[in-house]
Order: sequence, then C-alpha cells, then structure tokens
Amino acid sequence: MVSESKSKALRRGMWTFLVLMVLTIIEFGVAIALHGAVIPLFLIALVKAAIIVWVFMHIYRLWREESH
Amino acid sequence: MSMISTASQEHHNDEHSHEPPWPVQLKSNRLGMWLFMLSEIFLFGALLTARFILWGQYRPHLSQEIGLVATVVLLFSSWLVYRGQTAIEFGDHKGFQRNFLFAAIFGLLFLIGVVFFEWNIFGLSASIGPIELFGHLRPSDGVESGIFFAMTGWHALHVVTGVMLLLIMWNKGRHGEFSPERSWGVEGAGLYWHFVDVVWVFYYPALYLMGLPM
Repeated sequence: MVSESKSKALRRGMWTFLVLMVLTIIEFGVAIALHGAVIPLFLIALVKAAIIVWVFMHIYRLWREESH
Repeated sequence: MSMISTASQEHHNDEHSHEPPWPVQLKSNRLGMWLFMLSEIFLFGALLTARFILWGQYRPHLSQEIGLVATVVLLFSSWLVYRGQTAIEFGDHKGFQRNFLFAAIFGLLFLIGVVFFEWNIFGLSASIGPIELFGHLRPSDGVESGIFFAMTGWHALHVVTGVMLLLIMWNKGRHGEFSPERSWGVEGAGLYWHFVDVVWVFYYPALYLMGLPM
C-alpha cells in the first residue's frame, strides 16, 4: 500500500495546496479582469477539481491492486 | 467439551472463510464510495444548472471577500485531511489525530463564514473599509436568491456531515482503531471531505465570480 516515503507524500500535499491557492488567486483576478467570463473561470475550476481528485482523493487507487 | 469447542471453532472459521479477503473488501469500499459521490454529483450539478438558468450572465451582490476566505479555509482543511490520511498510512497516529481535528475545526470555520457572515442570520451590518462583512440576500427575496440559499444550504449540510465524520474518525483514532493496513474509515471520511471541497471549487466561482453584478 505504501510505496513512497512519508515526507515525499507530505511534500506533494503541500505543493498541491500551494498550487490550489495560486489558482484561486488567479481565478479571482480573472473574474475581475474579464468581468466574470464564465468559460475561463469554469476551466480553472476544472483544473482545481482534477488536482484534488488525483492528489488528495487518490482516484488511481480505484484500479490499483492492494497487496495486504 | 473439547468436541463442542472444536465444533465452535470450526463454525467460527467457516464464518470467516465466507468473508472476502481484505484487499477485495477495500476495493469494493472504494468503488462504493466513488459511486455514492457520482450520485451526489447529479444533485449538486442540478443546482448548479439552476443557477445558470435563473441568473444567466449575472450574479447578485455578494461579498467577494467572504467567498474568497471561505474557499481558502475549505481548501486548507482539505490539505489537513490529506496530511491526516498520509499520517495514518505511515503509522503516525498522533499526526492523524491532530490533522483531522484541525480539519474539523476549519470545516466549522467555513460554516461560520457561510451561516453567520454570508447568510447573515442575525441581520448585522458592518464593514472594514470597502470590505463588507455581512451578506444582504434573504431567502424571501425571490427565486434568484432562493437558488443561492439552496446551493449554499445543501453544501453546508454536507459540510456538517463531513465535520461529524472527521470527528468520529478522530475519536476512533484516539482509541487506536486504525492501523496503516486497516484505515478504510479514515480514507472514506477523507474522500467525503475532499468531495465537499470539489463541489465548492465549482460553486465558489458560480456564485461569487461568474457574470456581471445584477
């Protein structure tokens, strides 16, 4: 089940959180600059959701075989 | 006596032999949880669609600052849950308990942000410079404000459930119920919490950022 070191996993979580923060700030700026344009904001939300689903929710574990 | 004992033991072993092995159970649990979340997407998606039908290219006047702070708080709690999940997978029980407890606290802070400030249930009014601290919408303002309360209310209900789940897992962890090999409860609660976060990732821009102010 555990194939990487704890510190590496925690570091990945920290970077993921920082990327999500940056995207949230970009989202806020885009909303102001483009007067609430729907498509760019929706695309940013999609990227943020995909990052959470992959890194935080470990969706890839759905098709991974467990050894224990 | 020994025969009875042996028979009982055999019956016990027989019962356990019908249980699927743990890796199979875990895979089923994960699949079930993801299917549950998929069913929830239809519900949240319907409310999101209603927002675009009712508001179109406009949005009501909402405090941008409250929305942004609430989003940061929820994302931060999601990161704490990830840290808690990682901790228990590596046998760090204290780390798991600490992160889950703080994640629940931040979940409560998010709720306070929505209910106390944005819903403004006490009808308060205050500002710091240009930043308005309390919302002005009322559920009785019409169907346009109704969808705002439907979306945030339904999401807040899920946040309440998520906070309860986090606290239940934290309490179970205090009693040593989890191990690196047997931590599905932690993983399931974490998945639920991250899902609540993903929903907000779409609701935040839809409510606060998309469209022109009405």
